[in-house]
Amino acid sequence: MVEFTLWDILRNLLLAARWTVGLSLVAFIGGGLVGFALLIARLTPSRGARRLVSFYVQLFQGTPLLIQLFLAYFGLALFGIQTSAWTAAALALTAYTSAFLSEIWFGCVASVPRGQWEAARSLALTFGEQLRHVILPQALNIAIPPTVGFLVQVIKGTALASVIGFVELTKAGGMITNATFRPFTVYAAVALIYFALCYPISLTARALERTLHAAHR
Amino acid sequence: MIRTVVNLDFGTILVDWRMLAKGVAWTLGLTAVSATGGLALGVGCAWARIHGPAWLKAVTGAYVELFRNTPFIVQLFFIFFGLPAAGFRLSPEAASILAMVINLGAYATEIIRAGIEATPRGQVEAALSLALSRMQIFFHVVLPPALRKIWPALVSQIIIVMLGSSVCGQISTEELSFAANLIQSRNFRAFEAFIVAALIYLALSIGLRRLLNWLGPRFLFGD
Amino acid sequence: MQVSRRSFSIGFAAVLSVFAAAEATGQTALDGIVRNKVARIAIPTDFPPYGFVGSDMQPQGLDIDMARLIAGKLGATVELIPVTTANRIPYLQTKKADLVISTLGKNPDREKVIDFTVAYSPFFIGVFASKATELKGPDALAGKSVAVTRGSVDDTELTKVAPASVEIRRFEDNNATISAFVAGQTQAVATSAQVAAAMITKNPQLGAEYKFLLKDSPNFVGVGKGEDALRAKLNEIILAAKADGTLEALSRKWLGRSTGDLPE
Repeated sequence: MVEFTLWDILRNLLLAARWTVGLSLVAFIGGGLVGFALLIARLTPSRGARRLVSFYVQLFQGTPLLIQLFLAYFGLALFGIQTSAWTAAALALTAYTSAFLSEIWFGCVASVPRGQWEAARSLALTFGEQLRHVILPQALNIAIPPTVGFLVQVIKGTALASVIGFVELTKAGGMITNATFRPFTVYAAVALIYFALCYPISLTARALERTLHAAHR
Repeated sequence: MIRTVVNLDFGTILVDWRMLAKGVAWTLGLTAVSATGGLALGVGCAWARIHGPAWLKAVTGAYVELFRNTPFIVQLFFIFFGLPAAGFRLSPEAASILAMVINLGAYATEIIRAGIEATPRGQVEAALSLALSRMQIFFHVVLPPALRKIWPALVSQIIIVMLGSSVCGQISTEELSFAANLIQSRNFRAFEAFIVAALIYLALSIGLRRLLNWLGPRFLFGD
Repeated sequence: MQVSRRSFSIGFAAVLSVFAAAEATGQTALDGIVRNKVARIAIPTDFPPYGFVGSDMQPQGLDIDMARLIAGKLGATVELIPVTTANRIPYLQTKKADLVISTLGKNPDREKVIDFTVAYSPFFIGVFASKATELKGPDALAGKSVAVTRGSVDDTELTKVAPASVEIRRFEDNNATISAFVAGQTQAVATSAQVAAAMITKNPQLGAEYKFLLKDSPNFVGVGKGEDALRAKLNEIILAAKADGTLEALSRKWLGRSTGDLPE
């Protein structure tokens, strides 16, 4: 059998963590773009679009990410769409992220006082102009801290991609555990690497929030 | 062009309804126990973070940050596979509950603390003038309005924890996603099994939100 | 890919059928392999010595050598796809892999959904526990907890013979099953004799030993249902490797024993 030194364990976990970071970035950026489109659809006067977006958000917030991953992986293939573990994980996490981000952002837009919409309308701006020049700039300020905070949820969410066989940090931990029989060391190291990734982001989100509150006082 | 036929057969999943029902029971049971435990832990730690001595503040702070910044599945694996090496062994069910309580506790601490800090000081001062003890003030004056304020956030967090319990199937706890997985490993109907599981989870999360929105005002912070 | 007809009916047995036209390119798995010169082969990474990772995280083992051998004979390069016991068959069903070489045993349930070649390596499933645990046969398992990998032949056989009072603990993959037993989470484990041997060597403190045989269940290569051209080609390759002693050498190299009589 192969022998793993502590350095071998750490080195392999860090190498696998690159995939965790990559998957997180893809899901966060993809989810941000889709989430923004959903937000706009939800702000339009069309009742149908609003309902559809609410349904989408409800669906992804009301079912486990684990099941969404299984469905993206094995479900899509049944309909002839071939996906690797990487694409399936990226797709499922993007959809999941977009649902949460659009909900967060909708809350931020809703917190812009109604009077702002009315004022913008009274200036005879179109819907697009109202959003672009009046509402979104104000909502953006409020939206940044929770958005950065949600990145932590995305990073942690990628750990579930391990169950469809995508070799990221958690999966690598399982494989190394089986080769070394040192689960305590391996999972403690896995947890520490996640912590090292997430904690600075959490701190940043909190600092941003404090600045925002200070500015509003 | 060759035509392939994909038949989706939900009947083969629903035949195993007993297994699914057992899975639902476990999911709800795990959620109920961990919601109660997690809330209690959250209240305790929130108190500690505001009123506790410096060392207790540091300990609870470290706990909250550690568990909010690592994935639930890793916490679960560490408890189930890692801790026995340190002489601490738990059954899959006990490990699942412990992981869920600790995880919810970390989030609940921060949510409840935010609620308490948003409570006007004037109320506490008024209570102090009534010669109530610190404990009495905390539980009767400070906590109820704080809980009322943050109840929707807590309800969302409890639902996230319920959905997260799907991961407990990975360590052989027989909750809903375990049932779906077991069924599909026997009849090879993966897609149908997960669709059925997803729909049940959706119904559970809608139902649980309604239930908690009803329960909270009646029993926790009487409106 | 287009969906040309959909029907939906809901009843006790709700059946939704999608008649999808397969891609005009790649009618059969064999055509695909020959055209792309790539064979997508599902292999285990949680199953020493059949498939496991070294300190460079690259898969190695009997099944990986077998995959390289077969891809070579097919004139293709090999694309190794790591799978777990529970998801091997969905990989074939959903055409994510052309063939599965992953300690796959044959049973009637599986034969309904995929096809098998002739056998290529031996596999014995047994129950293992500490020396202190008295276990003469399946009946002695009563009241004990046993770890097993969900959806494996081990699971099927154990479920078949175990008395009702056995607490069967099913895990997602072999990693988790072995880890659970090593961590002392269960009193016994049902798995392959070779996997158990590796586990026992690495963990002498367990004092674990072989208790009884569940099944002699040789490994077969799995292909998608109806992939007859590929299956015929693979049988040809496997039988030739058997005749020239390659299979025997593989078995000796990784398992330290002869292949014995492999069913054809």
